[in-house]
Amino acid sequence: MAEKKEYEPKPIAEEPRIGVYVCHCGLNIAGSVDCGEVSKFAATLPHVVLAQDNRYTCSDQGQEGIKKDIKEHKLNRVVVASCSPRLHEPTFRKACEDAGLNKYLFEMANIREHCSWVHLYDRQAATEKAKDLVKMAVAKAALLEPAEEAEVPITRRALVIGGGVAGIQAALDLADTGYQVYLVEKEPSIGGMMARIDKTFPTMDCSICILAPKMSDVGHHQGIELLTNSEVSEVKGYIGNFSIKVLRKPRYVTKDCSACGECAKVCPIVAPNEFDVGLAIRHAIYSPFAQAVPATYIIDMNLCLNKEGVVACDKCMKACERKAIQYEMKPETAELEVGTIIVATGADVFDPSVLPNYGYGKLPNVITSLEFERLINAGGPSHGHLLRPSDMQIPKRVAFVQCVGSRSDRQGRLYCSNVCCMNTIKDSLLIKEHWPDTEIYVFYVDIRAYGKGFEDLYKRARKAGVKFIRGLPSEIREDKRTHNLWLTGENTLQSELYRINVDMAILSVGLESRKDSEMIQRLLTLSRNQDGFFLEAHPKLRPVDAATGGIFFAGCAEGPKDIKDSVTQASAAAARAGILMAKGKVTVEAITPIAFPDKCKACGLCVKVCPYNAITLDKANKRINVVEAACGGCGTCAAECPFGALTQSHFTDEQIISQIDAVTEHDADKKIIAFCCNWCSYAGADLAGVSRMQYPPNIRIIRTMCSGRVAQKFVERAFARGAAAVMVTGCHLGDCHYINANYQTQKRVEKLWKKMEENGLRRERLQLLWASAAEGERFANKVREMKPVVESVTPEEIEKAKKVFEKALRVD
Amino acid sequence: MPERIKHAPLDGKTIRQPKAEIHLIKDQCKGCGYCIEFCPKKVFEESNEINARGVRPPKIIDESKCLLCSFCTAVCPDFAIYVVERKNEEKNKT
Repeated sequence: MAEKKEYEPKPIAEEPRIGVYVCHCGLNIAGSVDCGEVSKFAATLPHVVLAQDNRYTCSDQGQEGIKKDIKEHKLNRVVVASCSPRLHEPTFRKACEDAGLNKYLFEMANIREHCSWVHLYDRQAATEKAKDLVKMAVAKAALLEPAEEAEVPITRRALVIGGGVAGIQAALDLADTGYQVYLVEKEPSIGGMMARIDKTFPTMDCSICILAPKMSDVGHHQGIELLTNSEVSEVKGYIGNFSIKVLRKPRYVTKDCSACGECAKVCPIVAPNEFDVGLAIRHAIYSPFAQAVPATYIIDMNLCLNKEGVVACDKCMKACERKAIQYEMKPETAELEVGTIIVATGADVFDPSVLPNYGYGKLPNVITSLEFERLINAGGPSHGHLLRPSDMQIPKRVAFVQCVGSRSDRQGRLYCSNVCCMNTIKDSLLIKEHWPDTEIYVFYVDIRAYGKGFEDLYKRARKAGVKFIRGLPSEIREDKRTHNLWLTGENTLQSELYRINVDMAILSVGLESRKDSEMIQRLLTLSRNQDGFFLEAHPKLRPVDAATGGIFFAGCAEGPKDIKDSVTQASAAAARAGILMAKGKVTVEAITPIAFPDKCKACGLCVKVCPYNAITLDKANKRINVVEAACGGCGTCAAECPFGALTQSHFTDEQIISQIDAVTEHDADKKIIAFCCNWCSYAGADLAGVSRMQYPPNIRIIRTMCSGRVAQKFVERAFARGAAAVMVTGCHLGDCHYINANYQTQKRVEKLWKKMEENGLRRERLQLLWASAAEGERFANKVREMKPVVESVTPEEIEKAKKVFEKALRVD
Repeated sequence: MPERIKHAPLDGKTIRQPKAEIHLIKDQCKGCGYCIEFCPKKVFEESNEINARGVRPPKIIDESKCLLCSFCTAVCPDFAIYVVERKNEEKNKT
């Protein structure tokens, strides 16, 4: 790894010549901001030699204009006031580079997501705010310095987490492209949910028949190393260079197993088979299902009589002709070095026993759609006979209840689970196929048959005589003697009550995020939306990328989807990962720390707070070494340094202070200065904008990469310059994009609170908010809450704060 | 896979679970307690009675829990325990 060279201030040969472009974005910005006025204002700012407003700055024409001006007007800094830098910063940086200007000499003012869209009905205030935002950007731009990006090599190996159909597809695609793939699955066999389903919609293909060949391909592929019964336990590193630890739990059966099954026959232990949702039994030594890959049997040591080295029962060992059983196997840790990671961890099914009105778990003839799949499956416990559990008879009348656990604000989940409508239609046709005289009722809220071939299947079901009734039953009651079920509810199409007697009811349960997805989230520093599914980098244009570089999503981990969508996304994720690995290298943003050795006292504080251990202390020479390639770029070290001996490139102390000073020049006592981290709260504020959540226009946002960059002196300076309030915002604790840097944020804010209270300042004036990229509403609410606080701040309080934090005005 | 298992296995009755008949020769026991310690299903516990050798032999808590692994027979130093399969039940099944 290359060590950072000592910092030598580059002489700025020329005075800054800044060009400012205010974008109308059609009416998206111009609708509530007077762009002409903003650009006139920009022209009056220091160092600005050119200011103009145009309709679409991001268009080819707009970009060409910038390039031309850079050459004609000798611009050496460019500011574009338009949308979020999370959207178009790369676009404009590229344009600058094309015109020969270093891309770090470009700065953006976010006057769309953070201004026009959130202040739609207050043109004057929105225009004033836009001016402030431009002023901040210009102030920072004047201090920008060119930077060169370091290149990082990418390991040409990939890790796929989860061996459902999405993980299988992604692994096969990557391996076929020629990359080495590790496929980690926590269950004894790959196959996931699809292996348990009987038929697939809308073509009614046999699910396992189309999946099993793919599973076996994975097992035999030269390029895929399959790690089943294993879990990822540690992830370190960054894009292109991840070090992974995988815990391989022992199977207690070696690869010599021929899957003959003699061992299971003699095993005295009987337990419900999880693969069959407990509808069939298995032994302590078992193979979850016939097509399992790998086919090697496994011993469930929680059930086996042999514990802690004591072999009490050796029946299976005696039965095994190939001597494949080893009771003394130990867990192992595999260490993998990979360049990209695909997260295909799938989804759980909703547990309807929390809904008392449907009686699931108490009434024997109420089952879930997943249990139905096992019952109707020829390979399942009833060999394809739909038997009702109470008396093992084939039911004559069957009811399907839709949206169990989905689309409910009372119990269950708010969202639509995408697959249940079509699954029920498929299931109803399957019953009709085997037992055409069965009466079938489907109770629904809306039937969502939105995909290719779906409507045809829906029509077929109706033609086959399946009765669709709009209105979910309010309760399911049982006839104690016959165990038949009474469903009562309201038919909302005919406005009448129904009371229908059936032999069996199937609850069409929704999908929810995996219970262990929080662990995956922490291991890989990902974000999740409010429903618990992983959040993509951009909902439209980067739907399979995680915000963290080098990580991609496939399948239900990202949101409920059917098999086709899962496979499509898996191939997309494999292609995205393949692009990175084919390039073989990636550039990392030049946002690493800059050290000033003459100021450094070798106190080691920065070494302690660095989440990446990228800084080492050289005690002998009283200095620090920064390993640039290991640095994540959070800037926490720079915020921690008490001597000003460290700063962050592109987010230097001077640049951030210049932004603070620009905001507080006028009417500081009416403004909130907010520091937002690039990954969570800034993105959350962007979401508030995209969702048009209106909040008071008194807030001015300063972007940092991490809330950990926010030094105490920044907050102090804001107060010393007369700001009414300051907000420090970042990712939720534990979700920090930079592992744990935001714990430093918390410490610093707590110190500031203490200082404020000691000096008689109201602590409400400094707010700490954790908001994820999905929590736009939370961000907007906080700003709304702050309005009365800002209004209640008296001039005396402002003066007092100015006095308390006076020291912060001194420039080092 | 879900931990949620609400229905009994449909084929539970088709599996022949052998029923055990545990024989204790109490007067042969010297009270070492190996059977109590090592039985994986914890079928035995110490009894209150005193046998011919003046020690407390084990007693059976629940014979139905026994899975006939016969580990007790193997560890008993005094050959005081043996387990056989209950015959009458066998007839019913076959």
